[in-house]
Amino acid sequence: MNKARIKIVAGSIIILLTLAFLVFTGMKESFVYYFTVSELLEKKDSLYGKGVRVAGKVEPGSIVYDSRNLNLEFNIMDDSHRVRVIYHGILPDLFKDNADVVVEGEYHPSGLFKASQLLAKCPSKYEARYEEKKKSRDSK
Amino acid sequence: MTDLGYYCMMIAFLFSSYAFLGPYMGLSRKGVMLRSVENAITAVFVLLTVASIALLYALVTRDFQVEYVANHTSRELPLFYTISAFWAGQDGSLLLWAWLLSLFSYIVVLQNRYKNRELMPYVISVLSATELFFLILLIFPSNPFSRLPFVPENGQGMNPLLQNPGMIFHPPTLYLGYVGFTIPFAFAISALITGQLGEGWLKSTRGWIIFSWYMLGIGILLGANWAYQVLGWGGYWAWDPVENASLMPWLTGTAFLHSIMIQEKRGMLKVWNMVLIIVTFLLCIFGTFITRSGIISSVHAFARSSIGYYFIVFIIISGAYSFYLVNKRKGGLSSEKHLDSLLSRESSFLFNNLILVGGAFAVFWGTIFPIVSEAVRGVKITVGPPFFNKIMTPIGFLLLFLTGICPLISWSKATWSNFRRNFLIPTISSILFFIILLVAGINHIKAAISFSLCFFVFITILLEYYRGTRARMQLLGEGVIRAFVNLNLKNRRRYGGYLIHIAMLMIFVGITGSSAFSIEKEVVLKKGESIEINSYRITYSDFKIERKINKFIAQAELIVTNNEKQIGIMKPVKAFYLNQMDQPVSEVFIRMGLKEDLYAILAGYEEFGRTAIFKFLVNPLVLWIWIGGAAMTAGTIIAVWPERKR
Repeated sequence: MNKARIKIVAGSIIILLTLAFLVFTGMKESFVYYFTVSELLEKKDSLYGKGVRVAGKVEPGSIVYDSRNLNLEFNIMDDSHRVRVIYHGILPDLFKDNADVVVEGEYHPSGLFKASQLLAKCPSKYEARYEEKKKSRDSK
Repeated sequence: MTDLGYYCMMIAFLFSSYAFLGPYMGLSRKGVMLRSVENAITAVFVLLTVASIALLYALVTRDFQVEYVANHTSRELPLFYTISAFWAGQDGSLLLWAWLLSLFSYIVVLQNRYKNRELMPYVISVLSATELFFLILLIFPSNPFSRLPFVPENGQGMNPLLQNPGMIFHPPTLYLGYVGFTIPFAFAISALITGQLGEGWLKSTRGWIIFSWYMLGIGILLGANWAYQVLGWGGYWAWDPVENASLMPWLTGTAFLHSIMIQEKRGMLKVWNMVLIIVTFLLCIFGTFITRSGIISSVHAFARSSIGYYFIVFIIISGAYSFYLVNKRKGGLSSEKHLDSLLSRESSFLFNNLILVGGAFAVFWGTIFPIVSEAVRGVKITVGPPFFNKIMTPIGFLLLFLTGICPLISWSKATWSNFRRNFLIPTISSILFFIILLVAGINHIKAAISFSLCFFVFITILLEYYRGTRARMQLLGEGVIRAFVNLNLKNRRRYGGYLIHIAMLMIFVGITGSSAFSIEKEVVLKKGESIEINSYRITYSDFKIERKINKFIAQAELIVTNNEKQIGIMKPVKAFYLNQMDQPVSEVFIRMGLKEDLYAILAGYEEFGRTAIFKFLVNPLVLWIWIGGAAMTAGTIIAVWPERKR
């Protein structure tokens, strides 16, 4: 190998190592756990003060929204558990009873989940409703 | 009609199988055989066209017994969107993929009636293999013509968020790009199979490569624009898996577009180019897969479906076979020349490629990490936008820098005089520019770096235009305008490329401005109250509820003044579609400007608008992203316009 090629290979390796380093540190700094409500409660002791993302449904009737001050409280739930979430800000259009939501924030020892981000997903009815109907017919 | 559509897909399946196996059955009678498989390609195109018309017919006549029609349309849906329902769901969009591929295959056959006769049997075979994969999906797990056992009164309707002009163009454009890359891939594989590893396959597909790259890029921009104008959260890019899925093949495709120049001019990087086009093709399939399988949770909530396994199998098989071929032919792919110097055009292109591919890999890693961590450690971990922003910022800087360097640094070995001629003025002026930015009070250091790099590149390109124009004026005695126009027309590839680079600068400027200096405020206002944001004063003046064709709208009226002068009225809306009254949709109002956009969202209201909740944003320079898209279009047209034959 001539000198120029060594330099080019070295340059390439430096670039790749830098990228790898960036990926690695970026990963460490910005990863968040992604849990269901039950998983969150199971592991809550190790999670205080850490960034967590939780997916679940909005418990019907649990939404309390103070629209003067933009303060929101609601319960996020899965089949067996629920957690009280507090959030400050405007509501996504899709946010309502039974909506699939993802909240990102921290779980506090008081049992409250303080969300800094609230995402609501499109209701799956656009794809799924007839599936259910079909199934119930088949089973008859 | 729907039966007709289904049978057409079945027969297309038979013809595709024949075209796929063609070259392996009749190698002895090549000429006859080739015409015969070419006719099979024509047949597939005709059949899938009929199938597509059948689906359109079912949609337009609102044949709700067809499950796809019932799921995506309703009686109230305007005709415009009823047609776009073709690609609003999984089954229809897979049919669109298959149809586009059959169309492109047909065009390739026409283009190569008298060319590339040794490659063509295998090109057709590879295209048909891909077509077969999509036909299998369409016939078995994802049949758009499948029927319900009953006839619903009305359909589900279309998601209100998709009822927008942006949704008409964004998916098909993206698909044109995804499908388009299948063509250069097929030629690359045929070159590997036949051992005809010269530049023939590259030259024959140059148009397709640029076309696909452009469509993918514009598709991404249209998606960003749709997110900005319709989704209504004030941004245009969220590093959502579906967005990432389209960005990855664009990055590797961009790398490919550049590195094939090195192969054309210097006969180098042959293995690398093969790898790049294979990876780009696989990423296009992977992109379709992510979008359609729901494997990675995304705010684009598409149905989770079983077709994921089909995609995985296809990706593994085609990937393994492709790389097996590359390995087998690596002897024939060796470089004709070697790299001579670290400071040369060859090596700067190589670095540009490494960074683009590295960027694609970082995006890939961040996107699939939740799956990996769940599989390996049993915990689902996601990395959000902070990860991508952190890593893509330095990657963007390096790319910008190389955008300035690559087109101008000398081949083989750069000399000091080359450097002084091309880079001295840009370097000095961009350093000055950087200092001016800091003095002017820009305290966002990353933004200042980004702007200065854009300035650096801009000056290098400007100098090129200047020198070229001056040379023509001196040598040929042309006037300024004529010299400038001719400069572009006589070197279309080069100057089309420069214009595309300028377009990328505009996009970078827009991204930098809006990500570094965006301001947002969420407020509750009573009628008559106002709020200040930047130099704007916004007053909530009026509220009304109106009935439109297929929706009710609640509309707030806001008077905007800038430095005491009224500059406009903004009317953000909350819409309630008749068949989905429980799901309101915000229709944002954006006052666009070259300097900044003022963006208003009506988030909620009470007592018929006595009070209303608003979110306001000031997004600097966003408009430049869309202008960049237009400039990219112009540059691409210049670059692919055929040179006049002499």
